[in-house]
Amino acid sequence: MPRRIISLAGGRRGVIALVAALAGLALIGVAWRAQVSAPQPHPSGRIDVAAAAPTADLGRSPSPARSHPLGPSRPVRIAIPAIGVHSAVFPIGKTRTGRLGVPQPGPRLNQVAWYRRSPAPGQPGPSVLLGHVDSVEGPSVFFRLGDVHPGDKVRIRRKDGTTVVFTVNAVRDFHKAHFPSRLVYGGADLTTPQLRLITCSDYVASIHHHIGDQVVFAHLTSVRHPRRAAASGTRAEE
Amino acid sequence: MEGSPVRKTLKTLIPLAAATVPLALLPAAAHADSGTSYQTTLNALNGSGGSGMATVTVQGHRATVNLSYTGLATTFGGNPYPHVQHIHVGANGTCPTMSDDKNGDGIVDTVEGQPDYGMVATTLSTKGPTSAKAATDITVAPAGGSASYHRSFRLNAATMDALQSGTAVIVVHGLDPATLSKKAQNEKSNLVPSLPLAATAPALCGALSSMPTGGVATGTGSTGGIEDLGMFAVGGGLLAGGGALFATRRRATSKAG
Repeated sequence: MPRRIISLAGGRRGVIALVAALAGLALIGVAWRAQVSAPQPHPSGRIDVAAAAPTADLGRSPSPARSHPLGPSRPVRIAIPAIGVHSAVFPIGKTRTGRLGVPQPGPRLNQVAWYRRSPAPGQPGPSVLLGHVDSVEGPSVFFRLGDVHPGDKVRIRRKDGTTVVFTVNAVRDFHKAHFPSRLVYGGADLTTPQLRLITCSDYVASIHHHIGDQVVFAHLTSVRHPRRAAASGTRAEE
Repeated sequence: MEGSPVRKTLKTLIPLAAATVPLALLPAAAHADSGTSYQTTLNALNGSGGSGMATVTVQGHRATVNLSYTGLATTFGGNPYPHVQHIHVGANGTCPTMSDDKNGDGIVDTVEGQPDYGMVATTLSTKGPTSAKAATDITVAPAGGSASYHRSFRLNAATMDALQSGTAVIVVHGLDPATLSKKAQNEKSNLVPSLPLAATAPALCGALSSMPTGGVATGTGSTGGIEDLGMFAVGGGLLAGGGALFATRRRATSKAG
């Protein structure tokens, strides 16, 4: 049997050649399967950030006399079930040049950061959170942010135990050179609690840079207050 | 593998792969940001229960203020509650805490907060003057428990300087008297003695800071190119080497044959 194979392949050299070629193919296959790239959807366009967003449905009957907005309490965890994101959240500031800071190498590199000068999630106005799409270690926490779609939910737990749930209105890609800072960090509507999730997009290998930023726009749709006392020890995480 | 054609092939393949990255980036929403923007979150003081946000955009000498809040006292003596609101300057650029309640009445009144936020430099009035002179004119204050305030006006130098140095603070005043201690309920405003303390005590406070500019640098591109280049190279090398070996064998056997 082995003889026959050897002769079929044309001698010992032939066998070595065949094995080498097959091994090469296998290696290429493995490497091919290991390729990852962040989803790159939605080109930028007009942002229709829910003028008529359902903001009344806050899990309680709206009181005509006086509403009770959430106060400040920093976010501690985020979950985006649609893309499998579950991460701790930590506060971050601005850089010396006035840009948003980003998670630095270390234990928090692949966590989500909340811009500490923006509203806490659930307070009126846009709460700003950001995460890396990738790091030197590979895909990062917002790698799949481009796969988020309108209607998807984003759950955020605050330090005070309140869980706020946002519903995605829009996902947009902006060229960094034309990033609409005022729309993203502010916007015309400061009355309703909103959320912005930001990451990099549109990597151009020839210049080794992402030239775009992807922004998820969402609005608050429900609030879950912590269950009194008994709840504190039992609920590990959303 | 030095000088192998594989490496050359990869070198040409990488830019090719990059070119297939969809660069569907129309120039984003055409409002190019001009001027400088500031923002703040308005947090409750004195247990007002309110919450809000404000942005200030300065272009030349003009400021455009966008300010919203909810949850403040709604009525005062049967009428919509007037909440006077100002930009304070000239102190630490911070908001007071309950430890600033020097007279122990349970309320940080407007004067007690001054070491933190300073004096009124701009009145965010609904109409007419925006100077400090209009500070206690309740007829030009937004009224009711929630407000959405938009106004564009000429900014004075003191406020401009404070914005730039990070010491400008927005304060919205007016508490529900029912939430005050007995002692505080009987006190008069130290700003307008004809008014009760509740009318002028701070209800919301927020220190303005410059809005971040531009987007974020949240990627290294580690997943943007081709991963495991080494594996591709070794694999490619083996494939090519195997192929070459096979070819020479063929030649050798055909010659022999």
